[in-house]
Order: sequence, then C-alpha cells, then structure tokens
Amino acid sequence: MIFRRAAVVGLVLLALLLPFLLSANRFYAFILGVTYLYVLWSSGMNLLSGFTGLMPLMYAGLAGIGAYTSVNLVMKFGVSFWLAMPAGALAAAVVGVVLGLPSLRLRGFYFTLSGLVIQTALTMLFVYIPQFTGGDTGISQIPPPMISLPGDKSFALTGVWLEEALAVAALLTVYVVHRVTRSTWGKYLVAIREDDLLTEALGIGVTRYRVLAFFISSLFAGVGGAFYAHYMGFVSPRSFDVLTSMNIWLIVGFGGQGTILGPIVGTIILAPIPYIMQELYLYKDIVYGSLIVFTTIFLPRGVYGSVLFHRRNRALSRSSAQGKTEAARL
Amino acid sequence: MTLENILLNGMAVITTGLIVGAIFSLVAAGVTIMYGTIWFPNASNGQFFMLAALLMWSLVVNWGLSPFLGAVVVIVGSIPFSLVLEKFLVRPFYNVPNRNIVYFIMTLGLAQIFAGAFTGTYGRWSDQFSLPAAWPGAILLGPFPFPRTRLLVLVIALTLLAGLFVFLRLHRVGRALRAVFQNREAAILRGVDVRRIYRFSFVLAMLVITMGGVLFAMAYGFDLTMAWTMAIIGFAIMIVGGPGSVLGSVVIGMIFGFTQAVVSLFASPTLAAFSYLVVMLIILLVKPSGLFAR
Repeated sequence: MIFRRAAVVGLVLLALLLPFLLSANRFYAFILGVTYLYVLWSSGMNLLSGFTGLMPLMYAGLAGIGAYTSVNLVMKFGVSFWLAMPAGALAAAVVGVVLGLPSLRLRGFYFTLSGLVIQTALTMLFVYIPQFTGGDTGISQIPPPMISLPGDKSFALTGVWLEEALAVAALLTVYVVHRVTRSTWGKYLVAIREDDLLTEALGIGVTRYRVLAFFISSLFAGVGGAFYAHYMGFVSPRSFDVLTSMNIWLIVGFGGQGTILGPIVGTIILAPIPYIMQELYLYKDIVYGSLIVFTTIFLPRGVYGSVLFHRRNRALSRSSAQGKTEAARL
Repeated sequence: MTLENILLNGMAVITTGLIVGAIFSLVAAGVTIMYGTIWFPNASNGQFFMLAALLMWSLVVNWGLSPFLGAVVVIVGSIPFSLVLEKFLVRPFYNVPNRNIVYFIMTLGLAQIFAGAFTGTYGRWSDQFSLPAAWPGAILLGPFPFPRTRLLVLVIALTLLAGLFVFLRLHRVGRALRAVFQNREAAILRGVDVRRIYRFSFVLAMLVITMGGVLFAMAYGFDLTMAWTMAIIGFAIMIVGGPGSVLGSVVIGMIFGFTQAVVSLFASPTLAAFSYLVVMLIILLVKPSGLFAR
C-alpha cells in the first residue's frame, strides 16, 4: 500500500516536472502537452465507455462545442479563459445530455449508432455555422489563456506554463474519475455495465446514473476541447469529427477500458504517433484504423487490462486448486 | 418557372430519384442482410461501395477495359475478397456476447483504414472521378434526352433488386437466410447450418454493395466524400426500414433516393444527408425495430 502510494506520488511529480525537463525542445514539449490533453479526454471518455458500458461516438462533437463556446467567448466578448473554459464545458455537457438523453434509454449498439448520428450531425453543423466556427477554414490565432496578477498586470500562459496547466488538468481529471469509480454510485455504473436489467431490478435508477455519467464525461470532453483550442491556437470542424472520437476510443480501448491507468497507458503509447511520424501523416488513418481492428480482435481487454487480468489469474491459481475455472469466469 | 422548366425538373427528379433510389436500396439491402443475419453492423459499407467504384474507375480509365468487363471483374473479385474478410474479421466473434458493438467498432476502424488509403492514393490522383459512358448516346423520353447508360443502370439495378427478392422468397438458400433473420434457434432446429448461412449472407451482402458501387460509378461522377455519406445513408435506410427487412430497405431506399433528387434541385445535397440523420435519430428513439419490422 505504501509502495503504491509512493509510486502514485512519484508519477504525479514526474508529470508536473516533465514540462520543465522537456522545455528546451519545443517539439517534444508540444507532444507532451498533446499527451496530457489526450489523458484528459480519454480518462473522461473511459468513465462512460469503460465503466458504464456506453460508447459515446459523439465525444469529439461535444469537445467541439466546448472549444467553440470558449473560443467565441474569449475572442468576441473578451471573457477570461478561466471563465470561458468552464462555460464551454458546461455547454458541452448540457448539449450532450439534451441530445443524448433520449438515446440513453437505448442499449448497446443502438446507443453507439445514435452517437454516430449525433456526431455526424454536429460535424455538419460546425461547417454550416461559419459565424461561430469559421466554417471549413476554421479559426486561427486563438489567444492563449491569460493570467491576471494583482496590480493590473497580466501575462499570457504560453509554452511551458501552458503545458503545466494541461498537466494539472489531466491529473485532476484522472483523480476525479478515480474518486467517482470508487464511490457508491461509481459501483452502480459498473453494475449497469454488467447487467442493466438486474441493476434496475435492484431498485437503482439506471437511466438517472447513466445521465449523470454522461454529464460528467461530457464535461471533460468540453474542458479538453477548450484547452485544445487555446493550446493549438487553431480549430476547424475536422478537429472534432468522428475520427477524433474514434481515436480517443482507441486510446481507451488499447490501454484498457474500465481501468484508471488504462487510458494513461494508451495515451502514452498512441497519442504521440501522428506527431512523431509527421512526414507520413497520410498513413495516420491507416495506422489508427489498423490499431482499432487489431485491438478489437487481439486485445479486447487492452494492454493494461491484460496485465491486470493475468496478474489476477496467477494470484487465483496460486490461492486455490480450482483457480483456473474461476479465472476463466472472471 | 416556365412549363418546360417544370417538366424538365420533374423528369430529372423522377429519373435521378429512380436510379439513386435503386442504388441506395441495393446498398441498404446489403447492410440489412448483414445485420439481420450475422448481427454485423457494417460501418464500412460506404468504403466497400467506394472501393468498387474506384476499382471500376481504375480498370476503365487507367487500364482501358470496357465498363462492362470492368464491372464483371470487380463484382467477381468481391467474392474472394469477402470470403477473406469473413474468415479473419467476422468469424472470430461468433461467440462473443454483444458482438454487434465489437463489429461496429471494428468496421469503423476498417472504414478509417480505407479512408486513409483512398486519400493517400486516389485522393492524390484526382478529386472527381467519372467514367466514360458504357453505352454512349441518349434516347429521347418525349422531348427530353436521357443518357442511355443511365437507363441501362436503372434497368440493371431494378432487375437485381427483383432478383434478390425472388431469391430470398423462393430459393431454398434464400429462405434459410430469412429463417435465420427471423429466429436463429428455430432455424437451427429445422436443420439450417447457421454458420454457413452467415458466410453466405456476408458474401451475398458484399456482392450487393459492390454492385451498388459499380452501378453508381457507371451512372454518375463521384468523389471520395461519397464513402462516408453512403455509409450513413445505408445505416439510415436500414434503421428506418427495420434491420433485417429487405422490403423495408427497398421502400425507404426509394423514398430517400427521391428525397435526394428533390433536395439536390433546390439546395445542397448535404441538406438531404442531414435530413436522413434526423429521420434515423427519430426512428432510433421512437421505434428502434424500424418501420417494416414484423
């Protein structure tokens, strides 16, 4: 237990220190920032796809709502990023719940399909309201977040400090998801994933908890979207299309659905790929698509999920003679 | 608008509606057969459709084959292709619970692979693909000229749909396939080899989708964005018509085809795609079993 706690503290410190260690090289620092962003996104999606068993294919669309809300508030109305970002997150969550509420009664495949429909409609919408989104050309020169200091001074949060902010946001997200899944209603979510009819029969309001999980997950989508916009300085509808949703799902699935560390492992392995093979950007879709097919066929538990599974397997076969059969049931 | 204009537009709507509707119906029939029997929601159907159309283009434009020969090559080639896909991508999941979600995610990945491959190859060669007319010239429908190739495509598409219907209603294998649609367990009890029907229906569905792509390429010019639109349309028709109902997919396919034709006259085709999405969402929420489900 102490060892585990020390490891967590060490990892948190490492996450906070890394931006400074890599600050000499802007390129690596940028990849690090993107990695933090995807830790945030994938952990948020994991709450829904991994713990509640609902795959939200409209996730990137909701991130887009968060991003465009924040960008419009900052650039048109001069609102501070630190107010615009929560507003964007709230907008994403509210729109997500309003659009998703009817489909939350659907199960399994039909929920996923309605997610795809909503995502496609949102992408079309982003292209068709250029006064808010810049249409297909997108919005560029988005200012970085500003910090105002006492005495009317303010400075722009750029470079290493912005990556530091992303690190904090990512760590907070992981912490919140961890707390939620350890709480009573986090257990309800897992129960819903395993058997929603049984859960309903036990007197737990399945739809209510699904909506709650959906709301929180969409909040993270929106926060990530706002940070994305102000970190990249550029957004276009392509940034938030269905492929982005699928990439975030791939990160969760590849790392390990329904585990806290899974999305982090997945992000560290997968998020840097498109930036490292920049000259080969045309192959990015092929690589990601192949990884999705690979994950579904050969790695349904994900990298970290498989590690957990084998560890549990071994512990079980050591503790009982019937370990094998029980492990097979797990 | 003069009377002549109205008539001209009316003719355009009817012919385009019929051709596009018949092709939509073919693709949707493929999607619905796959989902109805195997529980395989094929999100990459649009990419397979596009693959067929692009191969047609390569064979005809680059290799100089006649469109008819090209069509035969592509359609026959789809059979071994789909057998390989069935072996490696479909069969491993027959025993997985909730395999339709797994399939859905996997085919989305497959769609991404194809989309990337198409952009990296065909996307660099051209933005707009069109084939030379298979049967040059035009016939006169009253005072209005109508390209012969499109007439041919229309006749072939309608014949294929009719053939598919007759096959599913009357042929032994087609009836076994529909038995699996309706009740797997009962079909097994009646001696249907469900695994073989799965494999057969996958190949049949792929064949139908390929034919849709080939016919579309013969009748109209296309670009790479068609793939995603077609995938959405295929799903929309399947959901609205009722998964597993070929009749539903033909009726709704025709309705969508005419919608496309009418909307394209007055506004952007994207609006038509948007309307399919809305209809699909409504049906998903109100009656997920579709309009033509038994």
